[in-house]
Amino acid sequence: MLDIRDAIRALLDRDRSALVVSTCGYITRDLYNLEDRPQHLYLVGTMGIAAPLGLGIAVAEPGRRVLVLDGDGSFAMNPGCLPMIGEQRPDLVHAVLDNGAHESTGGQRTAALGDPVAMALACGYAAAHRIETADRIAAVELTRAPTLLHIPCAPRSHRAGRRVEPSPQQLVARFQTELARKNEETPTG
Amino acid sequence: MNAAEIIMDTLLANGTTHFTGVPCSLLKGLFRLLEDPECPARYLPAPREDSALGVASGLAVAGARPVVLMQNSGLGYSLNVVTSFNLIYDVHLPLIVSWRGHDDNDAVEHDVIGRELTRLLDVFGLAWTVLDRDRPAECTQRFLDDHDVHARTSVLLVPDGI
Repeated sequence: MLDIRDAIRALLDRDRSALVVSTCGYITRDLYNLEDRPQHLYLVGTMGIAAPLGLGIAVAEPGRRVLVLDGDGSFAMNPGCLPMIGEQRPDLVHAVLDNGAHESTGGQRTAALGDPVAMALACGYAAAHRIETADRIAAVELTRAPTLLHIPCAPRSHRAGRRVEPSPQQLVARFQTELARKNEETPTG
Repeated sequence: MNAAEIIMDTLLANGTTHFTGVPCSLLKGLFRLLEDPECPARYLPAPREDSALGVASGLAVAGARPVVLMQNSGLGYSLNVVTSFNLIYDVHLPLIVSWRGHDDNDAVEHDVIGRELTRLLDVFGLAWTVLDRDRPAECTQRFLDDHDVHARTSVLLVPDGI
């Protein structure tokens, strides 16, 4: 089964220019410890809100892909946002990293998720795939938006990395500087 | 112009680009304007108030100027986003919130939140303005200034239908 860090690495490598929103708990910490870039917006709370927040960014920045790193617990908390994302059709890749547990609170089992792929398709996502290897993450077609990727992962065997060190305000400031820099490079008229 | 039209004009004149939220009968006039195909701002209907705040937060982070609309009953769902995103990342939003139950004469489900509404906003340090139907432009401007000038999450409370 996939190590969640290998899954995140493969997702980042699919589109190095994508803006990334990570859900709270260990997914934010895994992302931060794998690679820290200004285009990462780490959530430290608001479980269940990474996907709608990513939708807002994608609507405001139509030239740029948004990658949302959700967990199974945070996905289960807010499937109500799926039809809204399906309706708005943002350039968004919604990855559900599913290790079946709330690991940052002690590894309790997650509430039933249903089938995220079937749910996304029923809610108007243009594509949705269940993916079990890093090679498949590298190869899967991502031309139709939005796309959901349901990625079963092994329970973590590594210790959670350090917590995100920049303050929330610093994270927002550098994210906005990155947006402004990129938009200057590629004027959209 | 009616109150809803004056409020909408004031919001658009101040640069509002997007609206999201969940309807309330007291805000019917505003939603009617948002659903008009001629509305110059983009309206993203949300299934629940916390998702609306999430979308608006993403829009605001990326430089757009969203406004969120909701019934006061939706503040409960919203508080997690307000307290663990908006107030700690300093990504503030302007919220137009109806005030069902403000006069003790509404349906029973609005009694508690209606009675405690302004105290709840005060607990979390949210700036609030009550809409005066005779001065909608002024009240809307004050509400926007609390957000734009004073960098706060601000609330326009709407106690009567517009």
